[in-house]
Amino acid sequence: MVFTSFNFLVFFPTVLVVYFLLPQKFRWMFLLAASYYFYINIKPVYALLLAGVTLTTYIFTNLIAQTNSEKGKRLYLTLAIVLTLLPLLFFKYFNFVNEGIYSLLNLAGLHLQLPQISLLLPVGISFYTFMALGYTIDVYNEEVEVEKNFGIVALFLSFFPVVMSGPIERASNMFHQFRGKLQFSYEMAVSGLQLMLWGYFMKLALADRLSIYIDAVFKNVDQHVGSSLMLATLMQPIRVYGDLGGYSLIAIGCAKVMGINVIPNFNRPFFATTMSEFWRRWHMSLIKWLTDYVYTPLSFAFRSYGKWGIVIALNLTFIISGAWHGAALNFLVWGFIQGVALSVEMLTRKRKDAFEARFNLSKKWWYIMFGCVFTYLLFAFSLSFGGDAATVPEVLKIMERIFTDSLRLPYKDGDTMLYGFIAFSILFLKDFMEEYYPGRILLFNNKNNTIRWLSYYTVIFLIFYLGIFSGEQFVYFQF
Amino acid sequence: MEKEEIVSRLTPVFRKVFADSTLVITDQLSALDVEKWDSLSHMLLIAEVENEFTIKFKLKDLNKMANVGDMIAIIESKL
Repeated sequence: MVFTSFNFLVFFPTVLVVYFLLPQKFRWMFLLAASYYFYINIKPVYALLLAGVTLTTYIFTNLIAQTNSEKGKRLYLTLAIVLTLLPLLFFKYFNFVNEGIYSLLNLAGLHLQLPQISLLLPVGISFYTFMALGYTIDVYNEEVEVEKNFGIVALFLSFFPVVMSGPIERASNMFHQFRGKLQFSYEMAVSGLQLMLWGYFMKLALADRLSIYIDAVFKNVDQHVGSSLMLATLMQPIRVYGDLGGYSLIAIGCAKVMGINVIPNFNRPFFATTMSEFWRRWHMSLIKWLTDYVYTPLSFAFRSYGKWGIVIALNLTFIISGAWHGAALNFLVWGFIQGVALSVEMLTRKRKDAFEARFNLSKKWWYIMFGCVFTYLLFAFSLSFGGDAATVPEVLKIMERIFTDSLRLPYKDGDTMLYGFIAFSILFLKDFMEEYYPGRILLFNNKNNTIRWLSYYTVIFLIFYLGIFSGEQFVYFQF
Repeated sequence: MEKEEIVSRLTPVFRKVFADSTLVITDQLSALDVEKWDSLSHMLLIAEVENEFTIKFKLKDLNKMANVGDMIAIIESKL
């Protein structure tokens, strides 16, 4: 079930009514049932996989907690990591490895028929796998108490607002909420609905609108002039922000209406002035996860190499992140660009800080703007390697065309460009005000009823006026 | 080693890593209080502290360091 589907518009209010009518102690059980219903709705057989990962997590976290010897704990941890990761690795890389073997055999003159598996990646598998791994490692590190109630672990890993695309939650944030008093709070319900409204706006009015232009250009690269390619490349980060950022707001909003706080995923990313700041604002739950469970162990292992140890750890982390996004060279290039950019920033930071202090730059608006624009361009460039059909030679060809063939007018799609521009301007203005003038103009949170309701209706109107209602999928479902 | 001695040996390490010659160490001091204390400089700090006291931390120890007080307690336990 997708958040933008009609089914969800029936599902969610129904869940809400039953949830709040039930006595408090049954609410988490109902949420668990609703979450599995939601997931089974996508494809029943994949729910078995989710249940399998849940069972593995439950058994091994309890074994780790009950074992006294360090050796035993380590053994259970290793087993748990391998077993939890297996389904993800299988679905993600089976065909990739298979094709590799196939072409190698072909090279050797052997023409064998290898089994092909044409299974789609089960929706959400990466997200619940990461959450399960995080919880298991936290138990091993004694950062969270092991959960004895199987149902709570099952709800944590299947919780319907986040099961498909995150935010990648933590046991330490969710368990106590599920175990505690799940009660109705007017303030949380209102704020949750507001987040959902913005989420739908970002997804339907912005992301899906821009997708029309981007897809039209990138699906026919040869037919388009360099300036169109440039425009589409520049639109990509906004599209993904609208898509994953919008999805995240709907997810966080849904949970909030039910009285549950989910961690944020985006924090006005386009106002970051450096790449390291950008990664503290973009897909935050994934970065936090990678920092805790990949980067920290790696940099700890390489710590005797000082700064270079950090450079190695940074690059490896982002290459792993790239490989997770997809089993292809272009995703590794994407990861490598991030790793290099962050390493350069780290190595030059002292000098940059001194330079900024000397000329008193850090508060100058044009310097901040320069930083934002540069960071945006770098990210847009890296993202062109992160598309699903973009092989490295293709991307390089696109880059070449952008620099050699951008003097002609770009491909014009009047409606898409105008509506997309309006939607982007609204979102940009909102983020801008929140970033630099927080609390100056209140619309959704205005004390005046008329202004508040007028803003709601305006956004609802804009969603219907600017939005696309063709049931577009969310970009991150493929991961 | 007395706690005071640990603090007096930690201070120059902190000042060097965070490039702040006036930094004063307290038990409550944490990454939230020092602007340059992020996940990158944290590992440099850990390596420098290990060198200063010729000890080795475990990854598990790192997760238990919420502030300088925790760090001092872990150093004490290893000396």
